[in-house]
Amino acid sequence: ENSPAPLPERAIYGFALFLGSWFGFILYLIWAYIPETWLFSLGLTYWPQKYWAVALPVYLLVAVGIGYILLFGMNMMSTAPLNSTDTITDNFAKKQQQKKFQEEAIPALRDIPISEVNRMFFLPEKGLCQSR
Amino acid sequence: MAEERRFRSASGVPITLRRRQHSASCRELAVRGPRLQLRSLSAATSAVWLAAYGLFALSENSMVLSAAIFITLIGLMIYLHFVKIDQESLLVIGSLGIQVTSSYASGKESTVFIEMGQVKDVVINEAIHMQKVIYYLCILLQDPEDPQGISEVVPLFQSSKPRLDCLIEVYKSCQEILEQRKTAPQSNEIK
Repeated sequence: ENSPAPLPERAIYGFALFLGSWFGFILYLIWAYIPETWLFSLGLTYWPQKYWAVALPVYLLVAVGIGYILLFGMNMMSTAPLNSTDTITDNFAKKQQQKKFQEEAIPALRDIPISEVNRMFFLPEKGLCQSR
Repeated sequence: MAEERRFRSASGVPITLRRRQHSASCRELAVRGPRLQLRSLSAATSAVWLAAYGLFALSENSMVLSAAIFITLIGLMIYLHFVKIDQESLLVIGSLGIQVTSSYASGKESTVFIEMGQVKDVVINEAIHMQKVIYYLCILLQDPEDPQGISEVVPLFQSSKPRLDCLIEVYKSCQEILEQRKTAPQSNEIK
């Protein structure tokens, strides 16, 4: 039911949005460019100030530019600092179950504690994994 | 017995690692960064004084020049006393604890001592730091309630930031001493 395939209803919605956005754009251009006296002479007097015809696009573009910087900054702020335990473990790893080791079976997936990982990487023992 | 080896820090500046074995269960590892260079000091001073002279030429106010001199002097003193760390050292005494010392360029030393009962392990951890992933050595402190848990992480060598080859040397030295406390009998628990 929720497939993204094209349907007749979606085509109609799309076309209605297309016409609506063109209409809105032409209305915006009319309001911005035609002098106020001509609009008054037609009887249409209740428009917003023309100042906003320039101000709103400028606000929008500045907001987009600040959004880039804001996103970058929020990313940096939510990175865990070097002295937090979030770099070592988290709630899921603390509460994981320890499955029993079975012979000839693939070991279950689990979070290996960092002390064990370090010993495996950095303390070479005389074993099977000597690659030199 | 002391030995000294050259390495590089994460940003590329040369650092030296000095390893001293005081006894079978006591080791000192010191990472020494480069001294304050004369050329960078001259460059910073000239930049500040040229900027002040430019301001003076614009504003004709001679207080700008004296202010620049003061700023340079006070700034240099603050930098040497609070910011520039010359040497960071780690003293591991098995069965007693770990002492971390930072020596500043002005001679000030700040030390932190962590007793061995609180130390769970000394590991090399990787984390994201300022758009880079760096390796850093840290002490994991034991959680009093949970024997498997970690209550705090104390990062070491924060200002010299050695690379992985130097960290592996320090790690191996520390692990040799930390392993002794597993095999030694638990006879020195004072409760």
